[in-house]
Amino acid sequence: MLRQLRAALGAGIVTEAPPAPEVEALGVRLAEEIRRRFGRSLAIRQVDAGSCNGCELEIGGLTGPHYDLERFGLHIVASPRHADCLLVTGPVTRNMVEPLRRTWQATPDPKIVIAVGDCGRDGGIFAGSYAVVGGVADVIPVDAVIPGCPPSPRALLAGLLDALGRRR
Amino acid sequence: MSTLVYGFAVLGSLVAAAVGIHGLAGGTWTLVAPGLLPLGGFAIAMDRLGGFFLTLVAAAAAPVSLYAIDYDRGARRGLLAYLAFLGAMALVPLAANAMTFLVAWELMSLASWLLVGREPGTSRPAWAYAVMTHAGFACVLAGMLLLGARAGSLAFADWRAVAPALDGTTRSVVFVLLALGFASKAGAIPLHVWLPLAHPAAPSHVSALMSGVMVKLGVYGLLRAGLEWLVPGPVWWAAAVLLAGVASALVGVLYTLVERDLKRLLAFSTIENVGIVLIGVGAGMVFRAEGLGALAALALVAALYHAANHAAFKALLFLGAGSVLHATGTRSLDACGGLVKRMPWTAAAFLLGSVAIAGLPPLNGFVSEWLTFQALLQNLRLPRPELNLLFAVALAGLALTVGLAAAAFVRAFGITFLALPRSEAAAGAHEAPPLMRAGMVATALGCVALALGVTWIVSGLAAVVEPLAGAAPPLAVQAWGTVDVGQGFAALSMPVVGVALALALAAPLVALRLAGARRDRRTYETWGCGRMLQTARMEYTAASFASPFKRVFDFFYRPDRRVDVRAHAESRFFVEATTYASPTRSIFDDWLYGPVGRAIGQATTVARTIQSGHPNLYLAYILAALVAMLVLG
Repeated sequence: MLRQLRAALGAGIVTEAPPAPEVEALGVRLAEEIRRRFGRSLAIRQVDAGSCNGCELEIGGLTGPHYDLERFGLHIVASPRHADCLLVTGPVTRNMVEPLRRTWQATPDPKIVIAVGDCGRDGGIFAGSYAVVGGVADVIPVDAVIPGCPPSPRALLAGLLDALGRRR
Repeated sequence: MSTLVYGFAVLGSLVAAAVGIHGLAGGTWTLVAPGLLPLGGFAIAMDRLGGFFLTLVAAAAAPVSLYAIDYDRGARRGLLAYLAFLGAMALVPLAANAMTFLVAWELMSLASWLLVGREPGTSRPAWAYAVMTHAGFACVLAGMLLLGARAGSLAFADWRAVAPALDGTTRSVVFVLLALGFASKAGAIPLHVWLPLAHPAAPSHVSALMSGVMVKLGVYGLLRAGLEWLVPGPVWWAAAVLLAGVASALVGVLYTLVERDLKRLLAFSTIENVGIVLIGVGAGMVFRAEGLGALAALALVAALYHAANHAAFKALLFLGAGSVLHATGTRSLDACGGLVKRMPWTAAAFLLGSVAIAGLPPLNGFVSEWLTFQALLQNLRLPRPELNLLFAVALAGLALTVGLAAAAFVRAFGITFLALPRSEAAAGAHEAPPLMRAGMVATALGCVALALGVTWIVSGLAAVVEPLAGAAPPLAVQAWGTVDVGQGFAALSMPVVGVALALALAAPLVALRLAGARRDRRTYETWGCGRMLQTARMEYTAASFASPFKRVFDFFYRPDRRVDVRAHAESRFFVEATTYASPTRSIFDDWLYGPVGRAIGQATTVARTIQSGHPNLYLAYILAALVAMLVLG
């Protein structure tokens, strides 16, 4: 009992340090931009068009308690019908061309499409493979690209802010 | 020929409805023809209760017969039986003595039996129906003869005067016999087994009448027996009726939830709705036995209201099921689908019936179920804890029933009419011919009228039940079509509810229009997760919809889960075919009818040993009987 207590007290704080202040600042600016453009929140539908899931891990990290993107008014939603923004990862494989088009069609206008990762930009290391048709922009109109392999959560936030700012 | 017969049935029903409404409004008359029948002669009399049930029969028969002109065009068999069936049903509520009643009752059973067994391949359901209905008839016959012998008269008018003087045991035996007989006709648990067999076998217009009207005549008999002929009765009769009602409602709705044959589903739903009516009747009898006449009247108003509502929406649903059968040739939910685009009239009618039967506002099922709830809630004025407990059980059971009924009819409508067609037959379905549509529209309008006319109906029914309950119900009609229950205990205004719901539905549409939503409209296919190939095999099926309920209530359904995987001969990893079945097992078949049937079988086997067929042996029996009589004499 005492040993346990001592161990618990001795361990100190083991949670990670909060994200760097510039991430916080980025989030606040993003929240302001969302409030200005969309009223309250930005609903994001993430589409995996053939990714290795590296980008998904980073996007998943954004929703975790460390970054907690929901506090800035960003939500990952379950259907393109609910979404304002598509976050498309991976080189577009042949099998995902048509589903990606349908997803884009099913998203109500006005919408923002962001290609995430080097693969989403131009096919990355998979470019030229018989199994892929290329980057996201080869299938649907893309508004912004977030490069990186994979892009860090901070880069994702910066990219989202950039995409929102660019769109008029 | 069939057109002529059904046309005549429509006209006859309209005339009978006029007569019934006259009786409902308070007209009384009697008609006696002593020479027509032995033992008391043919005698009919009109009172308000008889008028109500005659109106019920005739008002349902008219649109159903109209529907049958197109549905049963060119039929040669069963036309006379149909007319006899209608006539007998009209006669039962008017009969003024036991002889007339029994003849009409038996004629009704025989005619409906002929109609059930009309189509080829229906002999088994027809015989099951014949056995159950005659077992019921035997009970009614025994009860009436016993009561008649003790009372010294077969006229119903005399029974009421004599009944209080009879001893308690006789009265209870008579009541139990009559109640068993009438309950088997009404389809109460556990005497319900004929409904799911007979209703799918009969032609759909006959099912509509059997389910919508004929079972109500069982309720009619129970009302007469429990509240007129044998009044005052002990409270346990009433409690038994109330519990039978709760059991019927629950068991009926649970089977409705998992049934995959559209007409069998409707048959089980009939058991549920008869249960709700019996809850009202039972509650009325409890209040009556405890001397609370006004509350008894309230419960009986609710029961009769639900009986009328059920006649309207169940007839509508059976006519809708008949149209589906007519168009696709199948009753299986899993073979339908996508019919809403092919049969818009039928789909709209079936949807309206489903909303009504699920007890959703603003239709008629909601009104009568609300009234039943109010009547049950009034039990707090009874100072008997054990009865209050009974009412609490009834309230909980009714609430569960109503909730499950909504799920059952979402399933029935959704699987049948929505999504993609699941079979060639459903893909090639066509809309019903005009007179069938007219029949469905007429019953649908009946449902709407029964909901909106609540104030008139409630005052009419109050007069009907007053002689049975001995007091007027605590119902008051106020401004805006409001019905007030129990001096401010609860109030409901159907016109206001209807307008409010219509506004609530219209408001978002108007708001969107005003906000200019039309400008940027873009039409695209339904979101199907981006799937490239969307086939009917990916749809929700009747079995998958029912699966969660099967799991939750598995102590009741006791499902057998059978998964059969057939692998390729070379390797077990190459699956050739997978079959899955999850049939439910009926507790009534396994625990009641199975053992009884086996016992009867064994008894007949034993009895056969003395029936060798040799004439010499029978002569010896005669000799032995003669000797025995001489010795004993």
